[in-house]
Order: sequence, then C-alpha cells, then structure tokens
Amino acid sequence: MLAFLIRSLEAAMIFTFAGLGELVDQRSGILNVGLEGIMLFGATLGFIAAKTTGNYLIGFLVGIGIGALLGLMHGFFSITLGVDQVVSGMGIWIFGFGMTTYIGNPYTGPLGLERLPTVFGISPFFFLAIIMVVIVWFVLTKTGWGLNIRSVGEQPSVAEVSGLKVARIRYLCVIFGGMMAGFAGAVYGLYYNPVWNYNFLMGWGFISLALVFFSMWNPYLLFGGAVLFGLLWQLSLNPQMFFPGLASRYVWRMVPFVMTILVLILISSKWFRSRWGAATPEALGKPYHKK
Amino acid sequence: MTVAGYQIRLQRRASLPGWKAAMFSILAILFGLLLFSFIFLQADQSPKEIYKQIFRYAFFNSYGLRLTINRFIFLAMASYAFIIPFRAGLWNIGMPGQLYMGALAAFGVVYLLGGKTGDLAVAQPVVLVLMVIASMVAGALIGGIAGLLKGKWNVNEIVVTMMLNFIAFYFVSFMIKDGGPFMNVGGRGESFELPEAARAPLIAGFPYTLVMVFVLMIVLYVLFSRMSLGYQIRAFGKSPSAARYAGINPFKISVLVFMLGGALAGLAGYHYFGAVPGVYKIARTYGYFGDLSFYGMICGLISLGNPIATLFIALLFGGLSIGGRYAQGKLHLGFGVDYALMGVLMISLVAFQFFYNYQITFSKKPTGK
Repeated sequence: MLAFLIRSLEAAMIFTFAGLGELVDQRSGILNVGLEGIMLFGATLGFIAAKTTGNYLIGFLVGIGIGALLGLMHGFFSITLGVDQVVSGMGIWIFGFGMTTYIGNPYTGPLGLERLPTVFGISPFFFLAIIMVVIVWFVLTKTGWGLNIRSVGEQPSVAEVSGLKVARIRYLCVIFGGMMAGFAGAVYGLYYNPVWNYNFLMGWGFISLALVFFSMWNPYLLFGGAVLFGLLWQLSLNPQMFFPGLASRYVWRMVPFVMTILVLILISSKWFRSRWGAATPEALGKPYHKK
Repeated sequence: MTVAGYQIRLQRRASLPGWKAAMFSILAILFGLLLFSFIFLQADQSPKEIYKQIFRYAFFNSYGLRLTINRFIFLAMASYAFIIPFRAGLWNIGMPGQLYMGALAAFGVVYLLGGKTGDLAVAQPVVLVLMVIASMVAGALIGGIAGLLKGKWNVNEIVVTMMLNFIAFYFVSFMIKDGGPFMNVGGRGESFELPEAARAPLIAGFPYTLVMVFVLMIVLYVLFSRMSLGYQIRAFGKSPSAARYAGINPFKISVLVFMLGGALAGLAGYHYFGAVPGVYKIARTYGYFGDLSFYGMICGLISLGNPIATLFIALLFGGLSIGGRYAQGKLHLGFGVDYALMGVLMISLVAFQFFYNYQITFSKKPTGK
C-alpha cells in the first residue's frame, strides 16, 4: 500500500514538472501542445546519455538541454516566424515521436544503472517538485517578473506600449517550459520507468497538458491534479490491489485516459467556469505582431 | 534589416495564390528529404543511392508497388479524416483510435455472422457492405465524441482525441488478446482470420478500397467547392465567431466534421486489416498502423486541405515509408526509419509554414540618405 502511494506521488512529480513549465508558457500567451514530443526527447536522449556514460547527472543535463533547445525551436517558429502555435506544437510532437523511435531503438531495454537514492522511500525529486510549485506560484503572483509574464499573456500590445519586450519574455518562458518538460522526460526515463521502449511515455505529455487546463493556470491546483492522476495511473496498473479479479487488465489501462476526458468535461462546463472563474490567459495561442 | 545595400522586409501575406502554395509545399517536402539525408550519412550510406533504392522499390518493383498502393489507400483515407475537421479549424489527431474502432467493428460483423469459426451464412457482397458500413459508423461514433465535447463545452479536441487513441488501443488489446472474443484460436495475441467470403475482392491485384479513395476525392472536392455545407465548414474554420453571426451552428459543424472524419479513419482501419492481401486479421502490431496514420496529418497540412493534392502526397509518402522499410532491412539501418522520416517531414513543414504567411521583399535602399 505504501509502495503504491509512493509510486503515485512519483508519477505526480513528473506531471508536475512538465505541467509547471507549460503553465508558465501559457501564462505568457504561448500554447505548446508539443509537450509530449519534448518529454520523449528528454527521456530518450537522457536515457542514452546516462546509459553510455554511466552518469545520471549527465543524463538529466542532456534532458534539460534538449528541452531548452526544443522550447527555443517552438519559440522561433511561433514568436519569430509567426507560425500557428498548434501547428508548431504538433510538429514538435511528431518530430519527437518519430526521431526518438529511430534514435532510441538500439538502446531498447533497461538502463542498467544502480537506482537513484530515495529519501524516506520516496524520490528526492518529489520534494523538488513541491519546491518548484511554490517558487513558480511565488514568481508568478508576487513578483514583478510574474506580473510581466502575465501581462504579456493577457494584453501583449498594452504590455509592449508600457515598455515590456513581449518577444523576449515569451522566449524566456517557452525555453523554461521546454527545460521543465525535458527534465520531466528525463526523470521518467531515468527514474520512474528506466526501460526504454518506443513511445514509452504513453501520452504523459498530453495528460500534463490537460492538467494545465485543469489547473486554471494555478500551480497549486496543478499539483493537486497531478497527485490525483498519479493515483489513477497507479490504480490502472494495479487494479488487483483494490478490485481483485474485476475486469481485464486492458480495461483498467483505459481508466486514466477516460478520467482525463471526464475531468476536462467537468472543468469546461459552464457551471464550473462560473463557479470558479477559470481565467484563461486572454492572448493564449494568438500570435502577436509588433506594430 | 539591411544587407549589402538592400533593405529586407517581412510582409504578411494577404493571400497566397494556389501555384505558390503548391510550390512551397513541394519545397517543404524536398527540404525534408534533404534533411533526412543526414540520417543516411550518419549511418555511412550514400543518400543518393538510398533514395534511388527507395524509389525503385516503392514505385518500379511490382511487389513493392503493390505495398505502396495499399499504403497509399490507407494514408489517403487517414488524410481525409484529418482534413475535414481541419478545414473547420479543428484538429483531429484521433485517426489511430478511429481506425482501431473501425477495424474492430468490421471484424465484429464477421464475428456476429459466425465467421470466426466457420463459414459465413450470407453472400459475400452483403458481408462486405456490412463491414464497410460498420467500420464507418464505429469511426464516426468515436470521432463524434470529440466533436460533441468540442461543440458543447469547448473541450480541447487535441487532448480528447489523443486520450481516445489510448482508450481504443487498449480496447483492441482487450478484444484480441488474453482470451478476448476476437482472439485467434491459436492465441497468438492477434485476431481471428477473416474467412474467404469476408475478404475484399481485388481489382487488377489491388483491393477495391482503391476505388473508394477516388470516389472520396470527388465527394470531398464537391463538398468543399460546391456545397453549402462545405462553405459553412470553411467559414467556421476561418473565423468561428464570424460564422456564428452568419447563422452557422458551431455545435452542428464540430460534431459533423468529427463524425465525417472519424468515418473515413474507420474506413482506413477496415482497409488495412480487412482488405489488404495477406493480412485479413488485426495483427499484433496493430499499433504500428495507428502510428502510421499520423502521416495523414502531414499530408493534410502540406496539401493545405486540398483533397486532390492530398492524393499525390499520400502516394509519395506511402512509397517513401514502404521504400524506407525496405532500405532499412536491406542496408541494416536501425529500426524506425519510416518514423524518423515522418518526424523530419513534419518539422520541415512547420518551418515552411512561415512562407505561407509571410513574404520577403528586397528593395534597394534609397541612396543619399
């Protein structure tokens, strides 16, 4: 039971890392639906780097580095070139999906390194995730930087007039988002599921994206949603713990995906929106052209 | 920006003539293939030689050509499944889930008619018609979920269709593995084989689904250029809010485009598992065909949603992915060459989106200033 809870929280920390980056990204007005592709790249290249060098730190750094590069690429396409953000994000996802399948294939199999140490049985990354949640919340709501990020995401033309460099702020945010996603992928591939297989991320990037919508752009709600999904994910892998013999394992594997859809419906309903006042960043997804 | 006395400016395009759009699309593909050469170079192979082999196998070898055409039919249907919602400004990336459900429904018809264990009680044409209808209905129903949620509550269709892909993926596993109802008697983790009477007839060696592709092309062309519904879809895609003022019902449009798209993806599932010679079962590697349907997204984007242009691109990509697989085996390249190609083509296409939106103008800088 304890192992089950710990595993759930460890899944939650990965959703949190990826979701926090995307949250900051979206607060600045840039939607990156290619989260899955960045995470796949972070997981695969981080895995290969750690496996060939035998050094975890290099693996994580490679994951963060490739994430930053892909974030930069998304920024270049969507901010500088003015490409539709969904097209660019989809491109990054398919690029990640296709390339990692090819690049990672010779490394199929377990990582073969000693497991990373734990603190009270749980990964130290879990505590890092909590710290990151607080930091992101603090920066976004209590500091001048956060105000700048939010104003760029709400009214970019007004922000520009008041002296903010919209493009630069957005670039920083997408790069941060990419780094977090790359790191989340690396944690997945080096710690949570250190057995490389093609497309082994199983849609976690898309679930993280859904969690950002769920969070209404609030880091604490994001974390809560991540814990809920971590529990659901583990439950779907180990249904016999609670419901022995009920339904096939394949039916259970569908559960988190069904839940994602149900949660999205709930938060999109009029009742929920008027009750909780979900505040979508106004300029989200709209390209901004400097006049 | 100024370079060598010339002023270079970016201008947003108001409109893009068709021939220019076609040119950029072709350039995007060529650029993607050029980028992809690096993968061959990295594997110590001459790109020119490999491309020659790929094209020779895919288009000039009778066995390879047959594989290419089969894949072309599949990609064309998957592309159309993407295009219809795309013209309405909506993203259908649920082709895998829709085609899995389409394939299951087609096999379900055979199962219900007793085709798993023995011969069918009804005549072949009846079975075939029922299979086609069932696959389209099943695809339309699962696709319609995304359209319904989008139209009713504005739920993000990208996440929903992706989640539905996973749900359908496991549903197929449930049906064909671990003692599921469609499991092969030999229990190899794949579905039962279609009996003779449920196999699609061949026309000149190609499955009759090839004819469907051309019929679909005409239907889609007429829909988008001649019918009021097509106009409504396009108007909604250009500006949902303006379309609403024009009296277009957004709910109706999003449900409809997703159901139509899903139906065509379902048909693609029927084609690959029920009509391709030598398959006639839902293989253990059915996930591969789901992944492959994402090529449909690239075809749809490159052709800018044009149903006729789509066919040429689907033929090219079908050939490339078949030839890529062949080259992979022959030259001992790593697994997944066709996946990598998909990724590279996609990113090249995204970069070229820039040219659809902007034009670069050069003008001599005024002198004497």
